[in-house]
Amino acid sequence: MTPQTSVTFASVKRGRVPLAELDVRDAEAARKLDRVRPSGIDRPARMSTFNSAL
Amino acid sequence: MTRPVVPFREIVLKVHSRCDLACDHCYIYEHADQSWRTRPKAISDEAIFWTALRLAEHAKKHALPSVSVILHGGEPLLAGPARLRRVCDELTKALDGVAALDLRVHTNGLQLSPRYLELFDEFGVRVGISLDGDRTANDRHRRFADGRSSHPLVLKAVELLGTDRWRHLNLGLLCTVDVANDPVAVHDALMELDPPRVDFLLPHATWDEPPPRPDGSPTAYADWLLTVFDRWDRQGRRVPVRLFASVLSTLSGGPGLTESLGLTPTDLVVVETDGTLEQADSLKTAYDGAAATGFDVFAHTFDEVAAHPGVRARQLGLGGVARACRECPVVRSCGGGLYSHRYRSGSGFENTSVYCTDLEALVRGIEHRTAARSVPAAVADDGELRAEQHELTRLLLADLHRELDGRGGDAWAHAWELVGTVDRHPGGLDGVLTHPYTRGWLLGSLDALREGRSGAATLPAGRLAASVAAAAVRCGLDLAVPVLYEGGTLLLPTLGELRLGEAAPRGTAEVRPVEKGLLVRAAGCETRIPLPGQPGARWRPVRRLARDGAPGLAIDDLDPYRDCFDVPVTPRLGQDEAAGWASRLARAWGLLRARAPEQAAAAAASLTTLTPVAGQRPAVGRHGIGALGLPLRAGAGELAPLLLRGWRRARLRALLEVTDLYADDGRWTHPAPWRQEPVAVSELLAGAYERTGLRAFDPDGAEAALRALDTLGRAAELTVGGKALLALLWEEADRDRPGR
Repeated sequence: MTPQTSVTFASVKRGRVPLAELDVRDAEAARKLDRVRPSGIDRPARMSTFNSAL
Repeated sequence: MTRPVVPFREIVLKVHSRCDLACDHCYIYEHADQSWRTRPKAISDEAIFWTALRLAEHAKKHALPSVSVILHGGEPLLAGPARLRRVCDELTKALDGVAALDLRVHTNGLQLSPRYLELFDEFGVRVGISLDGDRTANDRHRRFADGRSSHPLVLKAVELLGTDRWRHLNLGLLCTVDVANDPVAVHDALMELDPPRVDFLLPHATWDEPPPRPDGSPTAYADWLLTVFDRWDRQGRRVPVRLFASVLSTLSGGPGLTESLGLTPTDLVVVETDGTLEQADSLKTAYDGAAATGFDVFAHTFDEVAAHPGVRARQLGLGGVARACRECPVVRSCGGGLYSHRYRSGSGFENTSVYCTDLEALVRGIEHRTAARSVPAAVADDGELRAEQHELTRLLLADLHRELDGRGGDAWAHAWELVGTVDRHPGGLDGVLTHPYTRGWLLGSLDALREGRSGAATLPAGRLAASVAAAAVRCGLDLAVPVLYEGGTLLLPTLGELRLGEAAPRGTAEVRPVEKGLLVRAAGCETRIPLPGQPGARWRPVRRLARDGAPGLAIDDLDPYRDCFDVPVTPRLGQDEAAGWASRLARAWGLLRARAPEQAAAAAASLTTLTPVAGQRPAVGRHGIGALGLPLRAGAGELAPLLLRGWRRARLRALLEVTDLYADDGRWTHPAPWRQEPVAVSELLAGAYERTGLRAFDPDGAEAALRALDTLGRAAELTVGGKALLALLWEEADRDRPGR
């Protein structure tokens, strides 16, 4: 059976990564998750801000 | 009230106080502060020991996951390999088991050789090099005391660091701007060297010693940097540039990435070669002794210097910038500029930056060039918003699997394996994952794990298996799915609930799709549900609204995770009660189509689920875009604006879950036409968004929304996405206003 749903998935499916292969640790995924579940980490580790060095 | 100290995560360790170059723009030797003259040349054993000890105790006390130590000077390599080995060794030993140690060194490159690089490789010290661009640009300032060029030797060092053997230690190039140089030549010369990153620094200056402006332009530095930006952008941004990345980050709602820009509190401290603790190094440009704190590593903890008024002044964010800056729309990006660049004799640092006009032009210039490309598609496109929301739910499911890390037991492991099977079949799993209350289940499960609640690891398996079973039924996949159930009922999300009775309060049911329905085996009984949309003796289906032209939304009064609103949800409705509510909803939908046709169509395309709730107002919870709670007792005339109000709230909330429309919410307050007290930007935007949408039902509210939109246009908090939404709201508001 295919129950009626008003949501269309056309835009969802392009180049989608299979669920088991989703990397929730990469920076982009972590930023997305942080919006709905804030981790409290406000600054990525190993990022230097000192003006006179990199 | 005393604010807690901001712990230091970045230590600038001066390992040598002299330099083998005589750059005429150097803030250490050529500017106001001359304290270098009295410092020991190289850092002492005692200072190394105490620095390592203080840093370790600081990291331990504040449970810092990592700390960065930047070996600096003068020219740090003049300390020699033996001294540098001692520094690296002491720091590594002291931080072992306490916090990750990120070691860096910043050098002019003249002494850099394999001998140093072998040492740096041993301790994981990454290396940044100063280079001001092409030879003409570099030689303008970076010369030996006798006037010789340093350029060939620096290039040799960059080349060495870029070889396969040492590339992993390469941090990149730091370039000080001189507007007399050709910006394109400087950019190209740096990029040709293929560095992993680059940063451009404004030359240190104050209101007492303003920067040179050869053509008198108040935006000479912005113009120079924007020329570089255009070149960098056209060439595909191959190499990250910290200055540009910082502006782009703050424009999109992220943090500043350098102490010279943005409102992020400074968390660095400087240890001089004699063990004295100082504030930001660049303060040396302001006046003699400007960076001094009176503390040293021998007698004082890092916490003591963190509480120093000078240090705290640079941690106040908006409270630490000049009054004029606080109301400026670009302050989130520029942060009032580098602290030292605000200095003026008499008023100290309570000023705008001497580069204020440049910083504003730079931020606005980058925004103007990139806004159209930076606005998330979901802001204007509901299809993209649904796709982003769906991807977020998938990420949360993957995150739950990662968090469980094997603790979910065999039931979770088996269900997860089946997820992979149904995920390959179109429509099935998507239909369940886009069900709004799947989101509620995932967030609730993740919260329970984070809080260490009892059963948090084993409970999610039942819902996952039920979701897989529902997905298999939806796409007619021949798959037998074992599902744990409790309370004598088996809920299949989006489909319905099978009552197994008190004789079988808990257990495992096997669910298998058959023809158009499903077969459930549980407690020795077999139940066939031929049409899941129809009620049966023990089967309670999720009802659907589809009638009188209304969309086929689910009326979900079964799913336990529907209880996610700030008002109570109703129990399962009786047949007559459900029919009556559906009839009123269908009439309300008709009213909505007549008075706000575009919004009725948008709501119909994105909403999937309505849930009856108590009270008199619409309810929105943490369920993504698809659901609304609507009052059971409301009539059709009341339900139409409530439906629209709820849809506007759900859409804005869903948008905020996938993009940043504003940053630093609450840092400023704004007048709101509907409130006595000023409000945060989040409340102002939510109020304006809702009232603009409801203009067909509430013209007075729409008028108030116009005033709020005006105010939002001046708000510093809005990101490029927020500004795009504001433009859409103006379009929407203007559509029905004759004469505009």
